[in-house]
Amino acid sequence: MNGLAVQFTGVSKEYPHFTLDNVNLELPTGSIMGFIGANGAGKSTTLRILMGLVHQDRGAVEVLGYEMPARQAEAKRDVGFVSEDMRLYGAATLAWHMEFIRSIYPSWDQAYAESLLKRFDLKAKQKLKKVSHGQRVKSALLLVLARRPRLLVLDEPTTGLDPVARHEVLQALMEALADERRTILFSSQNTLDVEQISDQITFIDRGRIIDSADKETFLERWRRLRLDVPPAVALPALPGIVDTTSSGRLAVVTMNGYEPAVAAAYHDAGVTVQSVDSMTLEEIFVVNVQNRRERSVA
Amino acid sequence: MNTMIIKQLILKDWYFLRVPIIGYLAAGAVSLVLICLGTDAGFFAGLVVLITVLIAVGIHLAMSTVVGERKDQTLPFVMSLPISYMEYTTAKILANLLIFLIPWSAILLAAVALFTIGNAGGVIPFTVLLVTELFASYTLLLAVSVVSESQSWSIGAMVFGNLFLQAYFYWITHNQSIMGTIKGHVAIWSSTAVAILVGEIALILLLIGLTFFFQARKTDFI
Repeated sequence: MNGLAVQFTGVSKEYPHFTLDNVNLELPTGSIMGFIGANGAGKSTTLRILMGLVHQDRGAVEVLGYEMPARQAEAKRDVGFVSEDMRLYGAATLAWHMEFIRSIYPSWDQAYAESLLKRFDLKAKQKLKKVSHGQRVKSALLLVLARRPRLLVLDEPTTGLDPVARHEVLQALMEALADERRTILFSSQNTLDVEQISDQITFIDRGRIIDSADKETFLERWRRLRLDVPPAVALPALPGIVDTTSSGRLAVVTMNGYEPAVAAAYHDAGVTVQSVDSMTLEEIFVVNVQNRRERSVA
Repeated sequence: MNTMIIKQLILKDWYFLRVPIIGYLAAGAVSLVLICLGTDAGFFAGLVVLITVLIAVGIHLAMSTVVGERKDQTLPFVMSLPISYMEYTTAKILANLLIFLIPWSAILLAAVALFTIGNAGGVIPFTVLLVTELFASYTLLLAVSVVSESQSWSIGAMVFGNLFLQAYFYWITHNQSIMGTIKGHVAIWSSTAVAILVGEIALILLLIGLTFFFQARKTDFI
């Protein structure tokens, strides 16, 4: 082990209408990575490759020190996987599923499972075909959390959940993180969820990783500047400018890699910096994706 | 091979199918009662019920445990367990064959016992060949379902299996070396009957082998 729970090196997978292209990804043990991308960006394909469910055409994948997909059975002993398109057996009860998982994983923690049952307000004796989507997701999460895996891989687990269920799920995930050795990779289109629990952020778009860093760096790096540009003054082209919109004297500049020296540079050019605003993760994601797409078209 | 988890997956499929299998066993018992009535009408009615029961068991098994697993989106749940895809395939093949063998062997053994007791042993080779052909048809359906995981391909395999059964039934009932001794008191295994039986068993083994061969070459599982 090299301190990394997950390592992708130059991973590619080609489909007729989609290509996952040269993905390099490192997830340190004990961290929580939010994996953000639009529909069809490649999040699920990446996570399926991680789980050994889809074999990469090129590149190397290592999960908990095991080479994937060759040693997936060993790796999956310590990996809990929940995906939006995963269903449990509708004809069986949650109690049956708990017993099934317990029979496979010696690490099953019955006391923790029962506490999750209460917290998630689930009924063990109810057949799963009769429960709501939120209860199904919470049941699937209970089944992975109660066996205390070292790595949790969650593919859009909060999609389609009502606000209360989403809050419960995120709360349970945050509690799961009390164990510092546990690592979580969490894909979502919902940047708010990701912002809430992640310490690492990775953006993926059209099969390519477009940015990856720790959350604080992300939030520190990106700024939106409101500038007053006098008519005779040209806006200087500073490094890191991702987007500029102008209306009369007012210009709004979105910048990746903001430093205090930027304000001084504008001042020297005769531009007044009216405000330097932080951006939300969603704003950063949207600007980042739009900028990459525009550059790829150009 | 992780035999513990393969066993758990087989028990899981058995859990979901145990009630219908009991129903099929009851229907199989009815078919044997009809066959043993001693009348031509009873014999043919019983034969039709027996064939229908074995075909229905096969379709039920393949569609619910293999195609249904993908259709109902429970495959990602199973594949998230600590197994390789070959272990999953092994579990599916074993679960299906073992569960199919319960009604199949019960019906076959009961038929052989009843024919022997009833001094109608001559019909045993015909019965054995027919139910083994049904086993081969089921194995074809299972192989296509496991490899394709597709409802359409599975229906295609069912149609092919059924058409083949009709042709087989016509051919075997017009084969003098098998039908010539059917009304005898003891079972007489002609060389033709033995050759057909060996061919059916070889076909079953070939289909199982081909299933593993194709599964080993898959790269996408969900």
